[in-house]
This record gives sequence, C-alpha cells and structure tokens, in this order.
Amino acid sequence: MNFNTAHFFESFLYGIKYFPNTLRLVFIPLAIGLILGTVIALARVYKVPVLCKLLGIFVTVYQGVPIVVALMIYNLVFMLKFNDLAGFLHIKTKAADVDNIWVGIFALSLTAVCSISEAIRGALLSIDKGQDEAGYSVGLTKVQTIRRIIIPQMIPAAIPTLINHVVGLIKASSVVMAIGIIEIVAGATIPSSRTYSFFEGYVAAAVIYWAFTIMIEYLAKVLRRHTGRFRRNPYD
Amino acid sequence: MIEVKNVKKAFGKQQVLKDVSVEVEDGQVVVVLGPSGSGKTTLLRCINFLENADSGQLAIGDTCVDLKKATKKQILEIRRKTAFVFQNYNLFANKTALENVTEGLVTARHIPREEAIKRGKEALDWVGLGEKYHCYPCNLSGGQQQRVGIARAFVLNPEVILFDEPTSALDPELVGETLDIIKKVAGRGITMIVVTHEMSFAQDVANKVIFMDEGIVVEEASPEEIFSNPKEERTRQFLSRIISLDSNYSI
Repeated sequence: MNFNTAHFFESFLYGIKYFPNTLRLVFIPLAIGLILGTVIALARVYKVPVLCKLLGIFVTVYQGVPIVVALMIYNLVFMLKFNDLAGFLHIKTKAADVDNIWVGIFALSLTAVCSISEAIRGALLSIDKGQDEAGYSVGLTKVQTIRRIIIPQMIPAAIPTLINHVVGLIKASSVVMAIGIIEIVAGATIPSSRTYSFFEGYVAAAVIYWAFTIMIEYLAKVLRRHTGRFRRNPYD
Repeated sequence: MIEVKNVKKAFGKQQVLKDVSVEVEDGQVVVVLGPSGSGKTTLLRCINFLENADSGQLAIGDTCVDLKKATKKQILEIRRKTAFVFQNYNLFANKTALENVTEGLVTARHIPREEAIKRGKEALDWVGLGEKYHCYPCNLSGGQQQRVGIARAFVLNPEVILFDEPTSALDPELVGETLDIIKKVAGRGITMIVVTHEMSFAQDVANKVIFMDEGIVVEEASPEEIFSNPKEERTRQFLSRIISLDSNYSI
C-alpha cells in the first residue's frame, strides 16, 4: 500500500475544515454535562428526597444505552415529529431547516451529563464529611458550604476522571456521522471518495484527533495545577 | 447560660444518650469525662446539630430550641452562637490558615473583609501561628492545625466553644502545646464544654466535671471532689484505673 502524501494533506485540510463542528459537538455537551452533571451529583450525594432516587435510576438506565442507538432514536424522533411539534408551538421552522448537528449535540449532551455526573459524584464522595461539618460549625449554610468548601475541593479531585470523559467525548463525537453530520472523520474522507485514498483520509483524521486530545490533556494538567494549589501533591 | 435538657439519641438499636441534661454557667469550663462509647461526643454533636437528637431541649442565652423539631433557621442561629473544635481538626483543606479563620466571619456573619482579616491575624498570632497565615492545612503539623482550629472557633467570639477530644489525634509533645492554648482560651472567660481524656487538664482548668457512662450522666461535681472523693462507684472505678495507670508509668 502506497501512502500518497498529497492526498493525505488534502484530507487533512478537509478534516480541519470540519473541525469546528467537532468542537461544537464536544464543548456544548461538555458545558451542559458539567452544569447538569454537577447538579445531579450534588442532588444524589446530599440525598435530596425523591429527586436523588429518580436521578440515580435515570443515570443507571441511560448509561446502558449505546450512544449510536440513542443517536438513531433521537434522529428518527426528530425527523418524524419535529414538524408536528413546531406546528403545535406555532413555530414556522421545518425539520429540513434545522441543522441536524443539534440532534448530535443533544445525544452527546445526555451521555455527557450521565458520565460527568458519575465522575463528579465520585469526587464528592471522596471529600471527608468533616469538611461539611466544619462549614456548618462556623455558621455556614448548606449552600455556602457546598459552594465555598466542597466544590473547590471537588474540582481537582474530579479532573483526572473528567478528562477521561472529555477524551471519550471527543472520540464519541465521530459517531454522529452516522446521521450525516460532517465532522473530522467524515470531512477528512470527503476527498477519498474521489481519490480512493481512504487510508490517507482516516490517518489524517486520526492525526487531528491525536493533536486535539494532547492539547486537552495539557490543558487539564494546567487546570489541575491551578485548582489544586492547596493539595500537598497536585499531580497525585 | 447553656442548658441541655433530656437529650435522647439512638443510632439504630443502640441507645447512645439516655436522657442527658447538662447546665453550664456563663464563663464556666465544663469537662466531660467517660469511657469510649459513653456518649460524650454524641452529646456535643447534638448541641451543634451535627447529629439530630431524637428528643430534648437546648437553650443558649435567650435562644431556646427543641433538638428534634428545630427549623433550619433555628439551627443556623444556634450554630452561629457556638463554635466547634474537632478531634481531627477538619480545617477547610482548600483554604489557608487565615482564610480558615476568617471564613465564619466573612461568609456567615457578613463582617467586612478587612476587619475579618485583622481579627483573623490577631487570633492566629494569639495561638502562636503568626508566621503561618498563608499556609494550607496540608503544610501544617497536627498541633498547628489544631491551633488553627481553635483560632477559627475563638475568633467567632461564640457564647460557647465545644471541644471534641481536641488532643486525641496528637502526639504527646503536641498535646501539651495544644492544651496550653485551650487554657488560654479558658483564661479569656469563654464558656467551654470540653470532652477529653486529659485528667490533669480537667483538674487544672475545669470548673465542673461531668462523668458519663453508657449514655447517662453518672456524676457531676467540682474537679476536686470528683478526683479526690467521687461519690459513685462507677466514677471511682474509672478514675482509679486511670490514676493508677498514671503513677505506674515509669520508664
């Protein structure tokens, strides 16, 4: 098998062209995941009545569904039902007008919420109960204690697992090409269908993912050092 | 004055406190003695609502609350009148020594930051940690951490400070320096309830000693009386073991 450098670079540029789509598919779910994941983890760790049970069931059930399956289901529901829903809400937009990248973002977001909530829950459980008690004993309310004492300690503890999930999310973002969204992989293989250089196309995609992941891991290290200043060993 | 009346608390089937009542006058130092599992710590934790008692009343100053039915607001009010020193320090791991001390002032009591920092530094100087304002707890020794813990309680100027075995996690050398600080706090006329196993500390500092066993107050009296002339057989038994231990120890 010959490696065609020219085709490789062409694929590489196509991949880069669709990189912003991957960014959207990673960072919007990540932001949603961090916010809702933290809320879910707190509700479960601090045992908010009823809610904590329901959320526990939701997370367990949802994590059992492969992301491709979830994606297909959402896509079908979106294509079949969006127009009805839009009509019901008197919105003039039609399904055909909506970029289906939002279906991908929706599917990835729900997955991210579940996995990130578990990472954060683990980090919260690793914090000694005495930290809460100390907060209450100096007169802080529960919310003040969580915001000022618990969350700042949770962040550096959660980062290693969180980064794992972010890297997973980056890689999982490629499955959305199953519903026709063009991101790095689909983009990099666009020229391949003309040149038949699929190998070069996939290698180009792999190189872009690889660089992206290394960047994220470097950022994580900086973030961890910054948020974990109070820890004896910020790299542990 | 602090008055705890008829506190009952069970963990599952284990009845840890069986109707305990304690009174503490303003400025008094009360030492609670007793074997492990006698309910001393649980009593202290119930006063600060770190445990929810099954029944009982609590009065601190002019605030009276039911230990079982207290509202969130009442709990917060009681907690802001009390301070707690923990056996394992429980300093806020993400805050420096100074931030640990000022947290309760700034966030809970809305004292302006500069004023809080000034008072926090005074408190840390007072416990001999003037050099350590900006150290995180992980960089302090156990004795230093506990002194920050005491400063954190003291700076709040509470109506009572509750000490839960403040020296039990320290090595013998550090016990001395920590007890000295606690004596200094007592010297300021602050009301204190101290759970401890340090008999000589009880003898030196306490105005009243309470001896607890199996969830009840067995005896309460002045330290002179308890140590030289205990009335109850159980007290005598407990103290004789400890005192004979003390005198037999010669290395």
